Amino acid sequence: MKSFSALAAASGSDARQTAHVHGIDSLCPYCGVGCALTYMVDDDNDILYTRGRDGSANAGRLCVKGRYGFDYSMHPQRLTKPLIRRDSAYPRGPLSGFSRPGGSGPRKPGGVVDYDEVMPHFREASWDEALDLISRRLSEIKDTHGSDALGGFGSAKGSNEEAYLFQKMVRAVFGTNNVDHCTRLCHASSVYALMEGIGSGAVTNVVRDVENAEAALIVGCNPTANHPVAATFMKDAATRGTRLLVANVRRPGIADHAHQYLQIKPGSDVALYNAMMHVMIRDGLYDRDFVRDRTEGFEALRDMVREYTPERAAKFTGIPADDIERFARTFGEARSVMIFWGMGISQHVFGTNNSRCLIALAMLSGNVGRPGTGLHPLRGQNNVQGASDAGLIPMYYPDYQSVEDPKVHAWFEGFWDAKLSRKTGRTVTELTQGALDGEIKGMYCMGENPFLSDPDINKVRKALSNLEFLAVQDLFLTETAEFADVVLPASSFMEKLGTYTNTDRRVQIGRPVREMPGEARQDWQIIAEVSRRMGYPMDYESPAQIFDEMVRAGKNYANLSYDVLGDFGKWYPCPDPAGEGTRILFGDSFPLGRGRFVPAELTASRDLPDADFPMVMNTGRVLEHWHTGTMTRRSRALDAIAPDAFVEVNPEDAERLGIVDGGYTRVSSRRGSILIKALVTDRVSPGSVFVPMHFREAAANELTDPAVDPYGKIPEFKFSAVRLEAIADIEAEVAKGREAVV
Amino acid sequence: MSEAQAASEAVTLTIDGRSVTVEKGTTIWDAAQSVGIDIPVLCHSPRMRPVGVCRMCAVDTGERTMPASCVRPAEQDMSVRTDTPEVESHRRMLVQLLLSDQPEVSAREATTGDDELYALARRYGITDVPLPDGGAGQPRGADLSSAVIAVDHQACILCDKCVRGCDELQHNDVITRTGKGYDARIAFDLDAPMGESTCVSCGECMAVCPTGALTNKAVSGIRVESV
Repeated sequence: MKSFSALAAASGSDARQTAHVHGIDSLCPYCGVGCALTYMVDDDNDILYTRGRDGSANAGRLCVKGRYGFDYSMHPQRLTKPLIRRDSAYPRGPLSGFSRPGGSGPRKPGGVVDYDEVMPHFREASWDEALDLISRRLSEIKDTHGSDALGGFGSAKGSNEEAYLFQKMVRAVFGTNNVDHCTRLCHASSVYALMEGIGSGAVTNVVRDVENAEAALIVGCNPTANHPVAATFMKDAATRGTRLLVANVRRPGIADHAHQYLQIKPGSDVALYNAMMHVMIRDGLYDRDFVRDRTEGFEALRDMVREYTPERAAKFTGIPADDIERFARTFGEARSVMIFWGMGISQHVFGTNNSRCLIALAMLSGNVGRPGTGLHPLRGQNNVQGASDAGLIPMYYPDYQSVEDPKVHAWFEGFWDAKLSRKTGRTVTELTQGALDGEIKGMYCMGENPFLSDPDINKVRKALSNLEFLAVQDLFLTETAEFADVVLPASSFMEKLGTYTNTDRRVQIGRPVREMPGEARQDWQIIAEVSRRMGYPMDYESPAQIFDEMVRAGKNYANLSYDVLGDFGKWYPCPDPAGEGTRILFGDSFPLGRGRFVPAELTASRDLPDADFPMVMNTGRVLEHWHTGTMTRRSRALDAIAPDAFVEVNPEDAERLGIVDGGYTRVSSRRGSILIKALVTDRVSPGSVFVPMHFREAAANELTDPAVDPYGKIPEFKFSAVRLEAIADIEAEVAKGREAVV
Repeated sequence: MSEAQAASEAVTLTIDGRSVTVEKGTTIWDAAQSVGIDIPVLCHSPRMRPVGVCRMCAVDTGERTMPASCVRPAEQDMSVRTDTPEVESHRRMLVQLLLSDQPEVSAREATTGDDELYALARRYGITDVPLPDGGAGQPRGADLSSAVIAVDHQACILCDKCVRGCDELQHNDVITRTGKGYDARIAFDLDAPMGESTCVSCGECMAVCPTGALTNKAVSGIRVESV
């Protein structure tokens, strides 16, 4: 007879082993979808596992990052004490092998940044010493060179409260608008086009309303990898009959569920969308009432797209004219269409033009303001919407109020009781350029890793080396921290209370689930302390108090408070605190009144292929990793599933170049080169390659072009001319790289 | 649909003597839930399409056999009992049958502490199973190839929750069934090891599994007691 010993024990083994495991409701720290989940934590301060909650964005679903990617917060490499750079580590420069010029090569043991290599260049310090040093050096630079010689990089990984406080510090204490964050590398061009076209940069409808759409246009994004849980709802919709119209240069997973998929040539988006509008206007497949009542500038658009026949667009996109016709007709005939887009649209020197076309498509077809319709730029970071809302951008105070508007400026001088600059500040890429030019002398970097995330690492390396002072506040010694004078140990997502605004405009509370390690401190308290030591008191009792101040600084978060947000958050705007907030925006009119059609002509990238660099490189992310890998490469599960960098090469190109699957190649651009394993796949077209951005030992940004879109100032991460060479002897090649540097 | 039409589509039944009015097409299980009557299930979840394979939720409708309440629609004037000695006896026997070839210690109890079969065994006070182990001498195997999820076919009760979680909630279409008779089991792609399949490790299958068949492996080398 079978006996179940575990059952025989009183109340079973679960009682014994899980008695001290308690659940804390919070959020996933990774992408803009904003999944609600519960962290299960034991008495030893360890997170054991997670469970999905029935959040508005995820309905209990999670992806591999939310389910298994939490353990970075418990990694032994967490910083536990303030660090000060030793005198012997000057002149300032990179401190580890992969960060030096020509450092690319196979992954090595020792972690993301080799602490054995880097740590000896720093000494531990007390908080008092570290904070005094930061405030003294930043004050000196301000007094000697003026406020505009200072700048700050905030982060869309932090909470709304941290973003608000950081931009307040830079503006009210440093005295400059030189504050920006990774939105500049994300949707800055989309936001510019949306502000210009309708007067609001946020999404007009939530992801899950795709269930009400007859069709969905999903372009320049790879949601199954980058917004995995949002993708499950798109796939749900496809199962129930929503026609997914997918266009991309690299086949995304969602294409498997598409009604029609177009693999367009890199940089040809504008031609495709203009040709779609050509067909829709030619065949009368547009919403005349909407165009008449809700928009302006239709005639100019019509006249311009008249030139974009499907036949002409076929030449640019590589898609047969008939397929473009069919794509356009499906879009035009659907009574409700949602439009989703990502970095494939925004990260171009013509990123704003790409977005203008999508906005025009939505307005031309009357697909805004109703169920199953809307414009949805899929936000990348968990709080990139919120950080922008909070004013962590150089041209706007909180709630997109211009720093150059005299009335707004005067109001904030009173609100913050400080003298404020009236000059629009520098963006992320302009701050880097400023450091290179010697105009930016001192930087404060909270939770960003520009060394790996900005285009053209060789340029960033020189820029960071050229600073007079750099303070870094982070969880780990990042590549950027290798250049720092002072490094402060900060709090991880799992250790703090704060609000985060997801891609749907849902403001949700993240709660602390474990204690900070060692002497690490809350980010908001660090900011307040630096400000106080620089002569500006910031006395807050709690994140909730900071949130209340941020709500008062604008209109978009009106009626929201920690009490109102509760366990599942609200969509903003939230006219009725008892309700859920506003799901669908602009049913009657746009913030601008009428929406504006902005015709956009096809233009070319700067970094075009030629005989020396004949192929085009696209960059992006993989499902298991997050941006510069600081978190995910320190997660056991995520690192185990996706340990290595790779370049995707089409089989035709691989054969021609003698590249074998899994073999090393050298990928070179006009700016640098990396050594990386090849992944031979027909996901990419002949002539195109793809390199994920996460891996420092083969960093895609060694190769990217720092050219930016003139409006959104976003770099062109998605188009760089490159050359590939098969490498027979990787050891010899690595040695060559080192010699070249010596 | 107008309000009048909607009202005409309603049905009223009694469950354990309580009158319940629900929209036509509502299952008995959902109708019972709506008035707080809990009918045990293993293969069902409100997040999923009901399939009625585990039979744990069978109830007495006065018919010749007991239908599975998770799939059976409520009917006008139906009289349902969920608490008779016969229903209880049926549940107890079913738990014993399912336990008869289970591993004696549940990997799920050791990791996430929520083995639903074990919870039912406790509810019915079952510690010994006076039945032959139908699986003795023919182990059904395990698959430890995934970085995050351990598969123990011996603990699988073929409820298909993982299949529906993978195919219908996450739409990854990785998990299916293979084999016949006692060899029937879940499989990944065309019966590849999980770690070499197209699985994207979202963990939905692990989350919805009611037994120790799909469980979390230890993350980050943290102490998660394994069997």
